Amino acid sequence: MAECPVCGGDVPLEKDIVVGELIECPDCGSELEVLTVEPPTLGEAPETEEDWGE
Amino acid sequence: MKIGFLHSLIRKDEKLLLNEFRQRDGIELIMLDDRKLIFDLQSRPDVDIVLERCINHSRAMHGLRLLESAGIRCINTSEVARICGDKILSSLALKEAGVPQPEIRIAFTEASALNAIEELGYPAVLKPAVGSWGRLLSKVNDREAAESILEHKAILGSYHHSIFYIQKYVEKNGRDIRSFVVGDECIAAIYRSSEHWITNTALGGTATGCPVTEKLAEMSLRAAKAVGGGIVAVDLFETPRGLLVNEVNYTMEFKNSIQTSGVNIPAKIVDHVLRISP
Repeated sequence: MAECPVCGGDVPLEKDIVVGELIECPDCGSELEVLTVEPPTLGEAPETEEDWGE
Repeated sequence: MKIGFLHSLIRKDEKLLLNEFRQRDGIELIMLDDRKLIFDLQSRPDVDIVLERCINHSRAMHGLRLLESAGIRCINTSEVARICGDKILSSLALKEAGVPQPEIRIAFTEASALNAIEELGYPAVLKPAVGSWGRLLSKVNDREAAESILEHKAILGSYHHSIFYIQKYVEKNGRDIRSFVVGDECIAAIYRSSEHWITNTALGGTATGCPVTEKLAEMSLRAAKAVGGGIVAVDLFETPRGLLVNEVNYTMEFKNSIQTSGVNIPAKIVDHVLRISP
């Protein structure tokens, strides 16, 4: 479990999370990025940039 | 074996690949986050091969070139990234390989772009040369719309939005095909359907199963080879002229296509990486 940096709610985490992983806050729906695993911390995911894609 | 995993954010696609690598014996994953890497043109990451999964085209292309210069084999190559990341270079590669594609024009000024659109006829589609996920595509239905969109792009966009890539609109009856090529095999395909003229699943298009026919496999492999080969996703239109290749994607997204196609796409990718690793 980690705290959502947007709404402060609890965000459940899978056991195999990795740094950089994108997850969604179940309370506020914000897209979040795993910043650290031990201990788990979350930040707001970056905004889409112009050259993002496939 | 040490697999370098070049990435930034870890989306579901990357997570599926990481999980697949972790199921294999003798693999050590070395995470190469493009937001943290520093290249000095001398040192070499201690990896045997690199799989590129960046989200930024510019970082992917330059990161791959820097890693290749350090003597590391990369999938895909920087050359594939350079070509696929730019629609003009992609169209040139397809043309030079004789792969059929929609009719296009390229122009560098508003006036010449307007002439090009008039020559192609309406509707036409304006696309940024660099861009993805169906963003900033414009379907131009008449001259008034063309004048307006061209003026907006020239004034509001950065300089590369004044490199006008214009495609003749292809009536695709609400769907196109996305095929997946890994090495020498077209492993799977899906239909992407939408009531909107843009069928990209990133914009809400829905995926359904598409059989990999001999014709589809052949055209997909020709398109993949034209851009340099590797692991790519090919977007195709079904037309009375036959299949036309719309574009080739080099950091292909597949998370929505595994169940639809019934093919374990990340497993196929990992198999390929391990097969060609030095």
